[in-house]
Amino acid sequence: MTRITTSCAELDKILGGGISCKEVTEIGGVPGIGKTQLGIQLAVNVQIPCYYGGLGGKAIYIDTEGSFMVERVLQIAEACTEDMAEYGRFLGKSIQARQVEMGPKDFLENIYYFRVCSYTEQIGLENYLDKFISEHRDVKIIVIDSVAFQFRQDFDDLAQRTRVLSAMALKLMKLAKKFSLAVVLLNQVTTKVIEGSFQLALALGDSWSHSCTNRLILYWNGDERYAYIDKSPSLRSASAPYSVTSRGIRNSSSNS
Amino acid sequence: MGSSNKAQIAGTGSEALFVSHKPSVFLSPAFICRILPTRPDRRAPNSFPVSTATAPAPIEGEKAMTALKSLEQEFPLLDINFQSFCASHSILTIADFLTHDLHSLAAAAESQPASLRLKEGISQVLSIVDTLHQPWLDGLELLQDAMDNKRVLSTGIAAVDSFLHGGLRVGQLTELAGPSSSGKTQLCLRLASSVAKMDRGSVVYVDTGNSFSSRRIHHFLCENGGPPSKQDDTGIVQRVMSRILRHSVFDINLLFNVLHQLEFILGSQECMEGCKVQLLIVDSVSSLITPILGGGSSQGYSLMASLGVLLKKLAHEHDIAILVTNHMVGGERGNPKPALGESWKSIPHVRLLLSCDYETNTCNISTLKHPSLAAGRSASFVID
Repeated sequence: MTRITTSCAELDKILGGGISCKEVTEIGGVPGIGKTQLGIQLAVNVQIPCYYGGLGGKAIYIDTEGSFMVERVLQIAEACTEDMAEYGRFLGKSIQARQVEMGPKDFLENIYYFRVCSYTEQIGLENYLDKFISEHRDVKIIVIDSVAFQFRQDFDDLAQRTRVLSAMALKLMKLAKKFSLAVVLLNQVTTKVIEGSFQLALALGDSWSHSCTNRLILYWNGDERYAYIDKSPSLRSASAPYSVTSRGIRNSSSNS
Repeated sequence: MGSSNKAQIAGTGSEALFVSHKPSVFLSPAFICRILPTRPDRRAPNSFPVSTATAPAPIEGEKAMTALKSLEQEFPLLDINFQSFCASHSILTIADFLTHDLHSLAAAAESQPASLRLKEGISQVLSIVDTLHQPWLDGLELLQDAMDNKRVLSTGIAAVDSFLHGGLRVGQLTELAGPSSSGKTQLCLRLASSVAKMDRGSVVYVDTGNSFSSRRIHHFLCENGGPPSKQDDTGIVQRVMSRILRHSVFDINLLFNVLHQLEFILGSQECMEGCKVQLLIVDSVSSLITPILGGGSSQGYSLMASLGVLLKKLAHEHDIAILVTNHMVGGERGNPKPALGESWKSIPHVRLLLSCDYETNTCNISTLKHPSLAAGRSASFVID
């Protein structure tokens, strides 16, 4: 099964190589932990050409909150290009001579960006995705940032919200399987009262928690950022530290 | 899509009516004596007359929906006159016939010109109906059937097997409910690998969340037998894994398709050693049903009920064990409860609750409902 690297070796190790295609992965965490950063990193990393060990695919980025900063994507793409060039030098000149190098602007060109402003637009977009991806077969990742935002307001009838969300989850599962791509859903947290105390839980409720194949929880441990595998059919539960740098998601500085 | 939904509900709904139909006040004594009290052969293929050469043989669930006019070739009594008489009472299929007041139908036939022929037609339909029901069994035969066919499938985990007094019972529908990442899928994978390996039967795994992991199956298979160092060991593992058939289903109607296909295959094939389906796993059934429940229409509930009927029928008639997984939702005072509501609760024979303690990585299984074990018992185990 093909996987998309996260650019952080520790994180890749616990994920068995990276975010896997054909599965829906939910990534949740408190604000500021780096969910959008990870989403952008994955949207860039999916484009790494095959001869560098990547997928050579394109990305769809669905932005519901408006947190996609193009300048930041350019920064991450530049860092990725530099890393690829260094890797190419490490492997020898033969590879470089064979293929045309990808520049940062090429990375930007391969990200299809959709801005969504209401939950009806979000549902309509999911219905449209099947047709879109049939026409753009090289899309290998869909990042939805964040899946919860539009559904936390405007819903008087929570039962209807559950129905709509579970139908959406099934459609995303089907897309992941049909086109062999990775679906990454970024989710927010909310507080939940459990046995009298307030605890953090992922948004959208209990029934939504069953709608993903894998779940990754990002959290703070002191000053460090950690990722924890909360749900996976084939991976062991484990934690790994990572950091957000100007070059994107990288290994935690305390380890290296 | 809309029309096929309707056919599904109508088909299964009227079948349910048909099954519960008792010969009762509708029939006058004259009709009752014409229904001969013969006992059909047990396990004889339910041979329903095929209507025309070109039409495909109707599968069991649709027999009651067979239109009266398609029976004309086999049974000349049901001629065009009879059909138009029935149509005038809005009876077009066998199912319509059964739900109509037969007494008033007979009375209406009296006033018709060819009344005798019409009444013979009515009793002809009733005798056709006679061939459609299941043969009856006495207690001894039931016991023999239970000992021969209704075995127990081991889950591969000793603690769970002893908790369930052997494992999952063939012929029963078992529900496994639990919160997210409590180990439901892992238990399903463990069960699938155990059945494929030990019992030499095949397993149908319906996966709605892309969580089937062949890597885990391989891990479970290689666990006890040691690493497949020799050539033939790898061959055995490959053969066992090829007995697990996985279907990715993301829609309730596709699930019905898969189940009907399975029903057809099981009904038409003789038992081939090593290929007979012994276990059906649906992981998870709640993700398919939740999008259609509620919302003012009752279609979701009827689809859920027909799914329950179909699953139990498959389990009972074809001697397979069925395991479905269900997720949890918030109940009163914040306590989680299994999803799918009150009407689902009566459908599975066995309901189990799974929870996981993350610190110690032990899972805890308890019974919510079981026909032969006390509810409220629990056991702990670890899946590595």
